[in-house]
Amino acid sequence: MRAIKTDEGENRRKTGAEVKVEVKNITCAYNGHVALKDVSMDVMRGEFVAVMGPNGSGKTTLLRAIAGMIKPVKGEVRVYGSISYMPQKDYVNPNIPMKVWDVVAMSILAKGKKFRWSVKLSEEEKRAVEEALRAVAMFEFRNAPFTDLSGGQQQRVLLARALATKPDILLLDEPFNGVDLPTQEKIINLLSELSSRGITVITVVHNVSPLIHHVSKIALLNKTLIAYGKPEEVLTAENTLRAYGVSIPVTVCEEGYLHPLFGDIHG
Amino acid sequence: MLPPFLERALLAVVLISVNASLTGTFTVFRNASFLVAGAAHAALAGAALAIIIEELGFHVPVLLGGLVFAVIASLAAGYAGKGKLNRVEDLNTAIAVSFAFSMSLAVLFISMIREYAARVWGLLIGDLFLISYSDLKMMFFATLTVILVSLLFYRAFMFVSFDQEVALAYGMNVRLYDYLLLTMIAVSVVVIMGGVGAILVFAMFVAPSATAVKFARSTGFVFAMSFLISLFSGLFGIYLSFQLPFSPGAIAALTASSTYFVSAFLKN
Ligand SMILES: Nc1ncnc2c1ncn2[C@@H]1O[C@H](COP(=O)(O)OP(=O)(O)OP(=O)(O)O)[C@@H](O)[C@H]1O
Ligand SMILES: [Mg+2]
Repeated sequence: MRAIKTDEGENRRKTGAEVKVEVKNITCAYNGHVALKDVSMDVMRGEFVAVMGPNGSGKTTLLRAIAGMIKPVKGEVRVYGSISYMPQKDYVNPNIPMKVWDVVAMSILAKGKKFRWSVKLSEEEKRAVEEALRAVAMFEFRNAPFTDLSGGQQQRVLLARALATKPDILLLDEPFNGVDLPTQEKIINLLSELSSRGITVITVVHNVSPLIHHVSKIALLNKTLIAYGKPEEVLTAENTLRAYGVSIPVTVCEEGYLHPLFGDIHG
Repeated sequence: MLPPFLERALLAVVLISVNASLTGTFTVFRNASFLVAGAAHAALAGAALAIIIEELGFHVPVLLGGLVFAVIASLAAGYAGKGKLNRVEDLNTAIAVSFAFSMSLAVLFISMIREYAARVWGLLIGDLFLISYSDLKMMFFATLTVILVSLLFYRAFMFVSFDQEVALAYGMNVRLYDYLLLTMIAVSVVVIMGGVGAILVFAMFVAPSATAVKFARSTGFVFAMSFLISLFSGLFGIYLSFQLPFSPGAIAALTASSTYFVSAFLKN
């Protein structure tokens, strides 16, 4: 996908750690209607970041800005490496009977701005598609039409499509919606493993509880960035009150992690 | 040997079916079928204008007039619906306005035509048996273009239709592909109008793919089945019009749209 040519060496020397995504004071708007205001955040290599906030708080907009799909009206975004993007499922056309395999291969074939004439996947690319499908436990469904799958299964295929390009940075928009608990856990472990291998994962979630042991940071949004940092620093009563309008009660689990008692205001 | 008029009618049916299958399916996948009606009425306006110009003593091929207008109207609708990331409903509103505009223009032009009332009638309801050799030639080259564009941009059209959001994220030029599809719709509309007239374009264009998609378990199936539905409808129209005093285009369009309702009924 989009690899922004910036001198990574210089970037590393300057910052010490390796910054993969630099969001510098961005404001984003749709037809003059501001969706995101003055947001700044850096995400490092191998970090696993959860983006939270109520509906309409600009979570999807933040991912779109990072992916370069929309241009901020103010500020700038710098990205060091390749990106994969998994959309919120309501943005996918539910009526096209494409085979699961072809849906996943789509991201590989579209990679890069250059038009690719050959539709045939190389052996290596085929392996990447297979691996991605296995990672989300959907390989057996490779020949099924996408339209025949349940909502949760479709979600898993969309995740596989994002994984198949082997990106440096993974942007996921509510990847767990409608996904059953065992698969959800499997995917969380996979994302956690990817981040420990140096891939940067940024995911929008409404319910952070199942991820809380794995994420390195939480970004709490409500048009502006209310808080960004370690989960226990972000999930304070004051911050959740500012983001959601009510404070979300938290408990501490045996391992000492904070867990919000409600996934989200609307569950 | 078949009589030449029948030969031309049969060839026209094949060309119409190719357009209904390729452009029709891409249009249904892109949720843009409403655009077809808009393009058809723009094509009608353009064809009527060509007749007016002819009355003034200059020769302009009627279908070419239709093509120019349909392309302009399609692109204008696409432009008016710009910047609506993934909000196809908004695009449709823009199309509705351009539809109303071109319809008014068509009525205006038709009201200005004095002598050739029969030709206007032909534009509206078409006649498969009256297709001229030069019309057929134009339909042929238009169809060839549609086939070529479909082959070249198949994957891009599919990706953009499947999810525009991610196509954008992968750096694909979604706007460009949309304009390409809009142009293709205009071209196919004119080919189909050449056979069955402006009123029936929508039925022949959209119904076969809309039916096929209901049963499809693969995208290839949609293309194949919509081709067959359209071909069968056209041949059935021609056959019946030999037995009974019916318009072949009307029977074809009636058959094509009936398959949609029958399939909807079967599915429930
Ligand atoms: N394509 C668009 N055109 C116009 N306005 C938009 C568009 N996308 C989002 N918005 C507006 O921008 C604001 C932020 O939207 P965004 O989709 O980023 O929210 P979100 O946090 O992802 O919400 P959700 O939890 O519902 O997914 C909302 O007010 C929304 O109406
Ligand atoms: Mg969202």
